[in-house]
Amino acid sequence: MKCIHLFIVIVFLASCSTMPAINPPMLSAAQKNFTCPSPFLKEKYQLIHAIEITAAGNVQGAIIGITVADPSTRFVSCAIMTAEGMVLLEAQSDGEKLIIHRALPPFDSGDFAQNMIDDIKLIYFPSQGVMQKKGNLSDGSTVCRWKEENGDFIDVIANKPESTEIKKYSACGTLKRHIKITQTAANPYSSIELQGSGMVNYTLLMTLIEAQQVESESLQTE
Amino acid sequence: MRIGQTLHRYLYIIACSILILSMPFLASADSFEQLRKDSANIKTIQSRFVQKKFMKILAKPLISEGRFYYVAPDSFRWEYLKPLRSVVIAYKDDTRRYILSGGKMIEDKTGGMQAMKIVLGEVTGWMSGKFDQNPSFAATLKEGTNTQITLTPVGKSMSGMIEKIEITVSKKAAAVKSVKIIENANAFTQIDFTDVEINKVISSSVFQDVQ
Repeated sequence: MKCIHLFIVIVFLASCSTMPAINPPMLSAAQKNFTCPSPFLKEKYQLIHAIEITAAGNVQGAIIGITVADPSTRFVSCAIMTAEGMVLLEAQSDGEKLIIHRALPPFDSGDFAQNMIDDIKLIYFPSQGVMQKKGNLSDGSTVCRWKEENGDFIDVIANKPESTEIKKYSACGTLKRHIKITQTAANPYSSIELQGSGMVNYTLLMTLIEAQQVESESLQTE
Repeated sequence: MRIGQTLHRYLYIIACSILILSMPFLASADSFEQLRKDSANIKTIQSRFVQKKFMKILAKPLISEGRFYYVAPDSFRWEYLKPLRSVVIAYKDDTRRYILSGGKMIEDKTGGMQAMKIVLGEVTGWMSGKFDQNPSFAATLKEGTNTQITLTPVGKSMSGMIEKIEITVSKKAAAVKSVKIIENANAFTQIDFTDVEINKVISSSVFQDVQ
């Protein structure tokens, strides 16, 4: 029995990793003026992306993703559909309660909708966690690290003028999500690449179709 | 596989609706029996289309554009040009779906080809004008300024997907007008057709070249 426990501990430790070290700004002036990267939404927006899905190194398919996100309330409403207009999943979350309006197989299984909304929040909303560290990575990138209530860590990294990265680590430092946001003058969310690691490794390459500020939700009619 | 089946069931609905709508002969039809007789003359169809997706989540409809080709009895190409380039091609017992990736068209691995073959079998039935004989739908025909055919799913296969389909044929123009696929009270898809051409020669390359 002790051997089994030891084995479990070894496996657990082996699955953990070390998060990148963050070096504090060298000069006190730099510390004072330090600004964390913030690629997040400032206002309520509707964003429509073409999403290319890659798993096991091969492109599997493409869908259209629609997101309405309000940073002031952390409300998210989202839908994914095929090019033909078939809605596969439609759900919303006000920050606490998840409502699934429609979910066709295989998107009706497990925690798919919740995970999708968590990913959307990771992309568009700042962390609600506690600031842990801020400074620079070994390559000189600016980084801020937050610790979430559930123990996860979120790094927001600015390494190029037109690019920001968000990394989500488990409590033991295993990389769970890696998001690269490439912005253009027209829109800060022109291209988003999300790499998910876990039971299944996948990549979503999101290319912006349309973005517009939303004043209030309205039902479309003819 | 399940997503492929669901998708192709949906494609089937669109395809069937288009085939019905692409019959200018329908403008003079006043019964399903008449439609069956008129449909026998359809050999090829080609058309452009604009698809508008209406949903509560959308501040304004999402607009897609594409084109459609059909050659009797079972070759078709249903292609979106924007915003997401994709194409379904059925030709000689082979059905494939492609998407644009990295500047070239690659095969969509999520498709359920067996399901698509079933779909095409159904389409052939529709082409024969047998849309009041399909057990999956109850069909009604209403005369007015335009001819309107309403299809209501009766089986469980469409349950939760489609509430009904409204097909409108312009009597005045004697041609295609629109298809409205109603998913629920908050979501529907409107497809409007333009440049419809019936029985014009279509090259076989349309069904062989993906690009």
